[in-house]
Amino acid sequence: MNRRLFTWFLLTVALLFALLLALSFGSERLSIFDLSETQAAIFFDIRFPRVLLGACVGASLASAGASLQALLRNPLAEPYLLGVSNGAALGTMIAFVFFEQFVFARPLLAFAGAGLATFTVYQMARSRAGMNVERLVLSGVIVTTFLSSIIVLLTSLLDAARLRGFTFWLLGDLSQATMNGFYMTLAGVVIGAIVLTSQARPLNLMMIGERDALDFGVEVGRVRMIVFAMASLLVGTAVAASGSVGYVGLIVPHLVRLAIGSDNRLVIPFSAIAGAIFVVLADTVARTAIAPRELPVGAVTALIGAPMFIYLLKRS
Amino acid sequence: MLIAVAVIAVVGCRSATVPSSAVETREVHDDLGRTVKVPLKLERAISLAPSLTEMIFAIGAGEKLVGVTTYCNYPPETASIEKIGDTQTPNIEKIIALKPQVVFVSTASQLEAFTKTLEEQGIAVYVSNPKNLDQVFNGLKQLGELFGRSEYTDDLVGSLRARASIVRDQAHSYGGESVSKPTVFMQISNEPLFTIGRDSFLTNLVEQAGGVSATRDVGTAYPKLSKETAVALDPDVIIMSDSEDNREVNKAFKNSRAVKSGRVYRIDPDIISRPGPRLVDALERIEAMLHSETKN
Repeated sequence: MNRRLFTWFLLTVALLFALLLALSFGSERLSIFDLSETQAAIFFDIRFPRVLLGACVGASLASAGASLQALLRNPLAEPYLLGVSNGAALGTMIAFVFFEQFVFARPLLAFAGAGLATFTVYQMARSRAGMNVERLVLSGVIVTTFLSSIIVLLTSLLDAARLRGFTFWLLGDLSQATMNGFYMTLAGVVIGAIVLTSQARPLNLMMIGERDALDFGVEVGRVRMIVFAMASLLVGTAVAASGSVGYVGLIVPHLVRLAIGSDNRLVIPFSAIAGAIFVVLADTVARTAIAPRELPVGAVTALIGAPMFIYLLKRS
Repeated sequence: MLIAVAVIAVVGCRSATVPSSAVETREVHDDLGRTVKVPLKLERAISLAPSLTEMIFAIGAGEKLVGVTTYCNYPPETASIEKIGDTQTPNIEKIIALKPQVVFVSTASQLEAFTKTLEEQGIAVYVSNPKNLDQVFNGLKQLGELFGRSEYTDDLVGSLRARASIVRDQAHSYGGESVSKPTVFMQISNEPLFTIGRDSFLTNLVEQAGGVSATRDVGTAYPKLSKETAVALDPDVIIMSDSEDNREVNKAFKNSRAVKSGRVYRIDPDIISRPGPRLVDALERIEAMLHSETKN
């Protein structure tokens, strides 16, 4: 119990520290306590929304990853690797091309795309013998590449100039952050993380085995639907705002489990906070490493995440 | 049987290319310093870059072009020329079928494999890769010589040089010692925010037009710029490359001097992205944009 409280405290302090750090650094040097008009614009219009959006995106992806891993009993279940992010990206792209005038088209279609991809991967990975790691990863790869090819096809068919920025955005990019985008992902992460945490107990039981969970009176099918829906909501809103930032849902829950064990009542909310910290810091690197130029944040997270994925794959 | 037919077909192709290699050739050096054998009388050529297509038309050799890329849209006469795919993925079979003597390319990308295949067919590959106005003039002269139109090209380059120097004089007349040159932000795309950097020929062009590119010290040719820096730059003039994803000024500039004073302009993306003869048009237009207020 003490350890739990201590971890809450530690993570909250770490998040505040990460936010402060991120707000203090950027391509322009600012003294937060003495801002000229231009510097105030830089801070409040550009840096502030971007850092906050990064935090929400990280929280969304990490909590979605944590709960998918619990549900599928597989540490490699990650939104990006399962094709969920690509589903959301395709949805966003369709919204961008055909329904540009509707503000909510992007998150809504991203949500739908993420849900459809999740469901497809789940159906493909399931077999009479159960679901093993290879099957799940392979299904994820197939859905990911299939969706990527549709995205490439669409970019080739449609006017290239209009989608030029889109291909860059696909890599995961927070440079288009706005306060509206922040509010939308914040709403997603509040709803998603709370609902998922509420399913933590049945998820704990399902981690032992779905049949055992049924014996304990867990409505396995209902829990599965809720987790898929909420993970899709979280990934959908995150991707609609920032593209596909990869590997966050993989590394963060893994580290959290190393630190505090696999009780989902803690893993899911702690992953949300740690995910926020991770993306905020990764984006600080993306913003400052080659300033005044920028890296896409997805490149930074992948640079850390891909070796980690190999490590986990070797171990499992 | 099929194999026999195929062999005959291949042999047939080979023999068809023999006359072109029998044509009298001479050796020239291209922009990469490669030695290229070109025919004394160049009758059939293919261009794999819109800028080279424009240059070949400018020297009056457009009718020698038997193939161009799908990007080649200027001058209008290009519409009736066979398209051989785009610059990145030219259709090599189509190129061979059009029986050119020389293929003009602007980049060295994938050149190795490409050149070998074409040279086996007796087709020369000539690299012309101008990176600024002076190199465009030199490139025109080289092309003029290759197509046997040196005299015409000398006149053309002379008049282009004269136009460029008029622009420079004009720009100079506004920029006395006391008047600081206007800072210019070239917005290549709005979201994500791409602009011109140190290695872009446009940085130099803006300078010749009497301005200073606000991002002249940023690395690479077309960097993605931090919006924080964009706000801090506060340029006097914003020039947008006029494409569908770039119709609005980035929100980072909403309080900039350029937006406040209405000094926001659009320019045809083709004339600023192609290092060809129309670069002089771009120079004239940019100069007019930079000094429109002073003139009024």
